[in-house]
Amino acid sequence: MAHDHAAHQAPKRDYAKVWQENQEKAPRLAVAASFDPAGRLWRVQTVGKHLQLSHSDDGGAHFSAPLTVNREPELISSDGEARPQIAIVGKRIYLSWTQALPQPFAGHIRFAVSLDGGLSFSDPITVNDDTRPITHRFNAMLADQQGLTLSWVDKRDGTDRAEYRGAAIYTARSTDGGRSFEANRKLADHSCECCRIGMASDRDGTPVVFWRHIFGRNVRDFALARLGEPLHRVSEDDWKIDACPHHGGAIAIDAEGARHIVWFTGAEKSPGPHYRRIDGKQMNDSMPFGNLDAQAGHPAVAVSGNEVTLVWREFDGNANRIMRMHSTNRGTDWSTPGILASTRGAADYPQLIRGQDGLWLIWNTAEDGFKALRVGT
Amino acid sequence: MKFVLLLLAVLSDATHAETRFFTPSSLQTILADRTGKPFILSLWSNACAHCPAELKNLGELARKHPGVDIVLVATDTPDEAQLLEKLARSYGLGKTEQWVFADPQPEKLRFEIDRRWYGELPRTYFFNARHRREGHSGVIPLERLESWVGEHVK
Repeated sequence: MAHDHAAHQAPKRDYAKVWQENQEKAPRLAVAASFDPAGRLWRVQTVGKHLQLSHSDDGGAHFSAPLTVNREPELISSDGEARPQIAIVGKRIYLSWTQALPQPFAGHIRFAVSLDGGLSFSDPITVNDDTRPITHRFNAMLADQQGLTLSWVDKRDGTDRAEYRGAAIYTARSTDGGRSFEANRKLADHSCECCRIGMASDRDGTPVVFWRHIFGRNVRDFALARLGEPLHRVSEDDWKIDACPHHGGAIAIDAEGARHIVWFTGAEKSPGPHYRRIDGKQMNDSMPFGNLDAQAGHPAVAVSGNEVTLVWREFDGNANRIMRMHSTNRGTDWSTPGILASTRGAADYPQLIRGQDGLWLIWNTAEDGFKALRVGT
Repeated sequence: MKFVLLLLAVLSDATHAETRFFTPSSLQTILADRTGKPFILSLWSNACAHCPAELKNLGELARKHPGVDIVLVATDTPDEAQLLEKLARSYGLGKTEQWVFADPQPEKLRFEIDRRWYGELPRTYFFNARHRREGHSGVIPLERLESWVGEHVK
């Protein structure tokens, strides 16, 4: 039967070599950054088989000499929607990444912590407690004073089970500052296999996870769930495909507990990036945005009080540019889209991070370097 | 020694088609080479979990319908060409015309091919004899491929 779900078929052996080579030399444009409580900007990036951390005291114009995080070299996924993650709580700097394995689509979720403000790091550990060489990828991380939560896409339940749809979302939590992790827990079965995961803290501090799910046989729409609770379907695009979109979403939660989500769909009825606010059980209409003829995609969202900011990437045939839309009434009305930055070469996807003095766009480019721009309050 | 190398080169030439580099004008080249003829353009990647199933179906199609014209375009990089050929060959697509993306900005090539293709893979275009095309994302079932062949390939 031709409807066989691709991911269930063992790929030919040669996939392994191609995969590994690809991981070794893929462009390392995908970076992560975070401000510490003193306003210093920290950036983590992959150079060869090492994760390197550096910091800037002038808002990203100049960076310190890098510190190598993993002494033992390993392949690190840093391409497209796969990227290292950084979170800072007080003096603690948490890093997580996906170690790419030689086997196709396989990886391990890795973690290291600095307890001394980035002077030194613990030896990296593997967080997934299923250690077979299968998919454990697309690490996401959320940290606060109460603890640290990692989530990722995990194929342990679907390996050697042809009838299993997609992968699963697994999580692990540390409440001792990253010294140890509780046992892995499955948040949901049947996630899509190859999209980033979004995470945000709910009003009570509970992590909320947002991902592309497989509903029914092959509808790849979005779901969210509070840690330890059942999932809710939050997009009804009805995108039915046996394909890898390589295109996930992001979530921000405001002081009233409303979820602000952005995601991408290729569904024919309304393709492109979408935004929606969810107030409790009420899902407001979803709003498409971005120029479809310019590959609008890979959006990020941030919220502060009543202000909501969306950024995404477009390519007009010549330049990659980061677009922004802004709302001052919790996502009800929006500004017209404006260009924040552009480059003529290859470029990472945009990220929004919060600093002491407001919201910042983080964007890495091949020709114009790393950009950090303050974009709002 | 020289002879052995030469022999190896000849043998390897005989066993696989040479992958061509896909640049912003390549789609026009592909179309010009096929004026008045229907074909299937299949975009795939070694990093796509659903692509093995697509290659399997296309290989099966090529086996059952030797007259069908398939063009494979991998969205990977030129230095992977040989390995990509090996992969295609392992699915019975060794004689199929093959291309690989050759631009540091894949978005540029996507833009040339189809502005409304968002990068999801596999991605397939059915071109009829007049080169009107129909795009599909995701693995195309073999029955669907065969019904297209029945309709368009004489």
